[in-house]
Amino acid sequence: MPFDPNDIMKDRITDIGPPKYDKFFPPVIKENYGKWKYHEILEPGVLVHVSETGAEVYTVRVGAARLLSVDLIREICDIADKHCGGYVRWTTRNNIEFMVDDKSKLQPLIDELKSRGNWFPIGGTGASVTNIVHTQGWIHCHTPAIDASGIVKAVMDELFDYFGSHKLPAQVRISLACCLNMCGAVHCSDIAILGVHRKPPFIEHERVQNVCEIPLVIAACPTAAIKPKKVGDYKSIEINEKRCMFCGNCYTMCPALPIADGDGDGIALWVGGKVSNSRTAPKFSKLAVHYIPNEPPRWPTTVQTIKKILEVYASDARRYERVGEWIDRIGWERFFEKTGLEFRHEHIDDYRLAMTTWRTTTQFKF
Amino acid sequence: MALKHKTPMLDELEKGPWPSFVTDIKRVAERKPMAEDLLGLLEMSYEHKEGHWKHGGIVGVFGYGGGVIGRYCDRPDLFPNVAHFHTMRVNQPASKFYTTEVLRKLCDIWEEKGSGLTNMHGSTGDIILLGTTTDQLEPIFYELTHDLGMDLGGSGSNMRTPSCCVGKARCEWSCIDTQDITYDITMRYQDELHRPMFPYKFKFKTSGCPNDCVAAIARADCSIIGTWRDKIRIDQEAVRAYVGGELVPNGGAHGTEKRALDIQKEVIDLCPTKCMEWDGKNLKIWDEDCTRCMHCINVMPRALRPGLDTGATILVGAKAPILEGAQLGSVVIPFIKMEPPYEEFHEFVEKMWDWWMEEGKNRERLGETIQRLGMKAFLEATELQPDPRMVNTPRYNPYIFYDPAEVPGGWSHDPKAYRERHHA
Amino acid sequence: MSQEAKEKILEYMKSQKKTKLYFNDLCKAVPDLKMREAKKIINQMVEEGTIKYWSSGSTTMYMLPGVDDVGKEEDSMK
Repeated sequence: MPFDPNDIMKDRITDIGPPKYDKFFPPVIKENYGKWKYHEILEPGVLVHVSETGAEVYTVRVGAARLLSVDLIREICDIADKHCGGYVRWTTRNNIEFMVDDKSKLQPLIDELKSRGNWFPIGGTGASVTNIVHTQGWIHCHTPAIDASGIVKAVMDELFDYFGSHKLPAQVRISLACCLNMCGAVHCSDIAILGVHRKPPFIEHERVQNVCEIPLVIAACPTAAIKPKKVGDYKSIEINEKRCMFCGNCYTMCPALPIADGDGDGIALWVGGKVSNSRTAPKFSKLAVHYIPNEPPRWPTTVQTIKKILEVYASDARRYERVGEWIDRIGWERFFEKTGLEFRHEHIDDYRLAMTTWRTTTQFKF
Repeated sequence: MALKHKTPMLDELEKGPWPSFVTDIKRVAERKPMAEDLLGLLEMSYEHKEGHWKHGGIVGVFGYGGGVIGRYCDRPDLFPNVAHFHTMRVNQPASKFYTTEVLRKLCDIWEEKGSGLTNMHGSTGDIILLGTTTDQLEPIFYELTHDLGMDLGGSGSNMRTPSCCVGKARCEWSCIDTQDITYDITMRYQDELHRPMFPYKFKFKTSGCPNDCVAAIARADCSIIGTWRDKIRIDQEAVRAYVGGELVPNGGAHGTEKRALDIQKEVIDLCPTKCMEWDGKNLKIWDEDCTRCMHCINVMPRALRPGLDTGATILVGAKAPILEGAQLGSVVIPFIKMEPPYEEFHEFVEKMWDWWMEEGKNRERLGETIQRLGMKAFLEATELQPDPRMVNTPRYNPYIFYDPAEVPGGWSHDPKAYRERHHA
Repeated sequence: MSQEAKEKILEYMKSQKKTKLYFNDLCKAVPDLKMREAKKIINQMVEEGTIKYWSSGSTTMYMLPGVDDVGKEEDSMK
């Protein structure tokens, strides 16, 4: 029965949830579910998992933009049909994984992927820079300070060699969020790229009472910087600009408070976070660079600063040390010295619980 | 075919070795005006260094309070084909395995009724169908449910689409059945996923082991992380093979060439609890001191494996910075078996939600409600007993909120008797 | 019982200056009901079309039909 636009309730199905997880498993995955014994990375981007039953599954991991057209998905399907029995999967970090159940099928798959131009770079395993997780940016978000896809493309172009190799001390997770709301939760990444606004919103007094609920706007401000105010005949608001922390929540509630500004907005870089419990506890990323201007289309200052941080880390850290573990060992004073990044007022926390981050010992390095 | 809008800045992003989303969009733009105008709008954003989207309003298909994000372009005069450009979130199958059959059907729907552009996948885990008009929402929903057996994911003040790592499907370290747990939560709480009732968003994420490949501990209001209570399984012969250079350390993650593992330097010295010893022949682990960080297992995957008494640690309250600052998840259940039918877990979840709905302020994540009202209030509401595993250290301020029930006579004094002992 | 609750919720919404209300604002109209019961009733009202959802994407609110500012903006584009 096709859809009837005049009666949307006819044959309506709701609340069926997603397809059950095993519905789309390749046979080798279904048969060996819970039976895997060990794995090995045969070369960057190529893994083998071996089951208790002796079965093997070979995986080729390829990088992809998070933004994919139906054309590219169909191309992925063509490859999966030809080599992988019609199955494919994605990882949490936007990589695509093609799997085959026999070693003899591996090289033809790799050859096929390599024959298709730039579309399917193999890598993203082990001590590499794997794919960048990111948010929407100027493609689709309403509060972004920066683009997402374009910066990710520019950074990955520059760090491309690190995607397809294992030459870093440990894996380096780079993430990008296009504003402080961090819908991608990038705050525990080895290197985080964060879009920041630097000008408080301006107020379109004549629009506020028509398009905004003033009490909701006031309640939306995390620092209570917004108060009601009558401006001429208009019911409007005022903003205590000194208290603004540039989150954009008021703009989300009220489109008459634009916060974006091409010259004010830009990027802050954060380093040293991790989520894994391996060796040391998970930790937040900390501020490395307080502001870099938006430089479309290829953001050269951002790209080069990230590369600099990555290469200093690569040459100085010990094997297995994540960026944050390396900095913990050498100390922040050494981090700024070695990377040549400027340490400024903005690096010293002045928000809530700031004192927990101040140095309360005479132990430091000269 | 020449496209309608010139895009000199975006064209720069067609260069370089990484796959280009610009080249990809251009292929679709040749036949779809929506993608063509999206490129034009994005080029304008590159010139202005500002986004051009307005949010809001539309939330879903009829009866759902989430799953669709409404978007309107602020220059429909220049780019009329993206005047409306709404996103649909489609609930992904746990750990994102697909058949090409289902993907091709999805592409056909989106070719016909949307922009032809997607995200595989959004940050939360959903398949994102990027850009369509209001009149297409119901027809797309009809085809998703009827032809693909798929449903929308969460947005707004809902339970958000739960997600998990690859788990037992292709990982030897998974201590819990991450996919089954994710499927169970998703199906049991369909109403919470589709019809908002919470103060703000609520996320579940499930990782099979403490390596935490879905970053549950950083971003889920309720993180379920696999762990074990017994001993690490050791194959001593394989340990010797690593030391002897017969096996590649770290499963090849630090180079695929064979080399002798310096077990003292690379494993034992890096163990956070120093609970291991190597005598040249055998590896000894004092498991009672082990905190299951996974480092030794990561380095010697063929010699060491997690134990067999497996289950999960439950942490709550992780979130990104807005509003009160970022929080990591805090341990509230050190160990739970997490086996079907997951009754004990469901009871915990429902007690947690009842408390948060009652006590949480609007736009306050669970972690912030706990911060404001105290862990004690949360533990009492969920009927959990305090445990040293819940803290890094006991409190070091002396401001204890004593319970009057435990003080003789409660909080009332006997002023008369006091003044008989002490003259004013 | 549920009809009475629906009327109370509607009255409450009409008496408010704000056009968009959070879920727990609506619950204030029916303080005797548990939140899960209130939710069932509010869902029914959405299905019946007496109230409707509004969302910023991250937060969901409820409003009466016909007072949508986005609807206005949308119309102005036509």
